[in-house]
Amino acid sequence: MKIKQYIKKERAQKKKKKPFRRDIFNKISGLVCRYELDNGILKRLDKAVDYLPEEKTISGRFRPKISFKFPLFSLATKEEYHLAMAIIQKIDNPYLQFAQSLEEMLLCQLLYRLNPALSHEQLMQYHFETLVLEERAKTEKMKT
Amino acid sequence: MKRLLDSNLEIFVDSGFIYLPLLFDPSIETETQILRKTETYSETFEPQGAKTIIETQGKHFVKTLNLESLLANYEKIDHDSYVQIRRDCLSKFHLFSEIENISADGKLRTILFQVMPYFIKTNKGLTRKRLGEEGILDLIAEKINIPQRYYEEAITFLNPTVLQKLLKDVEKQQSIIDPPENGLLSALKLKEWLCHALEAQIVASEHQRLKKVLQLRQQFSQIKPKHMGILLYIAATGSLEIDGFGFSKTGSNGEYIVYKYTGEYILKDYYARSYLFPDCRVAVPISAPFRPVVLETYKHPFLLHHDEGQTICLRNFTPPNQFTADNIIKVLEEGINTLLYGYDSRRRNGCHSLDRTRMHVRTIEFDDYRI
Repeated sequence: MKIKQYIKKERAQKKKKKPFRRDIFNKISGLVCRYELDNGILKRLDKAVDYLPEEKTISGRFRPKISFKFPLFSLATKEEYHLAMAIIQKIDNPYLQFAQSLEEMLLCQLLYRLNPALSHEQLMQYHFETLVLEERAKTEKMKT
Repeated sequence: MKRLLDSNLEIFVDSGFIYLPLLFDPSIETETQILRKTETYSETFEPQGAKTIIETQGKHFVKTLNLESLLANYEKIDHDSYVQIRRDCLSKFHLFSEIENISADGKLRTILFQVMPYFIKTNKGLTRKRLGEEGILDLIAEKINIPQRYYEEAITFLNPTVLQKLLKDVEKQQSIIDPPENGLLSALKLKEWLCHALEAQIVASEHQRLKKVLQLRQQFSQIKPKHMGILLYIAATGSLEIDGFGFSKTGSNGEYIVYKYTGEYILKDYYARSYLFPDCRVAVPISAPFRPVVLETYKHPFLLHHDEGQTICLRNFTPPNQFTADNIIKVLEEGINTLLYGYDSRRRNGCHSLDRTRMHVRTIEFDDYRI
């Protein structure tokens, strides 16, 4: 490829519109504001490795994913900002940005531990609880 | 603004600027850190109030509004709230007075003393004389029952000492409000300060108004209390009607409409049949261009529809743009003459014909007026 064509192609790629994606801070800050979370959530996150209660582990259970409209640009008070950053640091896995509710945020670590290779489509489409149950069912099947 | 002042936020004030709690996102935090580093170097050289972000007691505040500018523009920022504060302040200092309108309002004087005498009958017997201002006021007193309180108010009004005393009181009340001290402040405290500062500003502006009023009142020093009472009554009501002529104030922007009743009249159609037209008011709204209108719901060959507030169709008439007594009289006369004498039964001029014709599609019928 000639250098001229290469430059043209590169420029065209740069000019191409990219879809706007809310960053992780916007999402977590949105959840912090929505659920009015405080520092107590950090303790809950520590205990949330096996968050899913026993009575919920019924196979075939399907929970619809809640769609929550996150703000385009989230601005938070200092306390909310630090809390959101602490949550991001604590969970620190790629599934967090697909969490649409507090419950999903708590299940995030567990799900990632069970299967870190879930696709974006799955994470966007299904509630984390459904995915966790599915992953558990898979492991139980393997055992038997 | 109202939400900010009614909130429970903690605000920082520095050198006449309001600093509000800074909201964060990762990029803002990065910028804050950069700013903090640069400001520590340039702190000694910066003038007061130049800091964009202030950090105190572990809280960050960002520079927003200038208090002076907030005060100066508060009327535009939160009009309703300003009106409320102004009303409260004026009632606190008893500064309500609409009487200066009569002297300041040139339109009302023109209507009262120049247009009205043209239309009302003042001559008795064979005597013919043009009424002066006092004569007109006497005539009004004869025809209109004016409440006693206006005559009582007139005595107070004509006494300059009352206003002079009020002026002195206001001067005493006038105080320069210092901006709040630098440091942390609750939104409630800021609201209190703002109210005080606005009151001081309103009083200062009223002081100028009172001075003007005092000057204007000196113009009335020669007028009799009885006449003053009549003027006070007209200023308060904004309307008057004598012998089929009247005027009234429309809306709050100080505009008037001047009107004259036509009385019942008869027009004839092509076949010499008579049509009795009911009484109506031909009016001129005092806002250029001046055109005659019929106030009532009315139908006439020179009106396009059967509706209220219609402009009379006039041929070869250029509406004047200047407010003068002559122009108002001319437009009113033109309107009345058109209704009473403008229709030609032979030519069937106007928008509609009185009798039914096969030539036109009829929209307005006058059969119900036939006698």
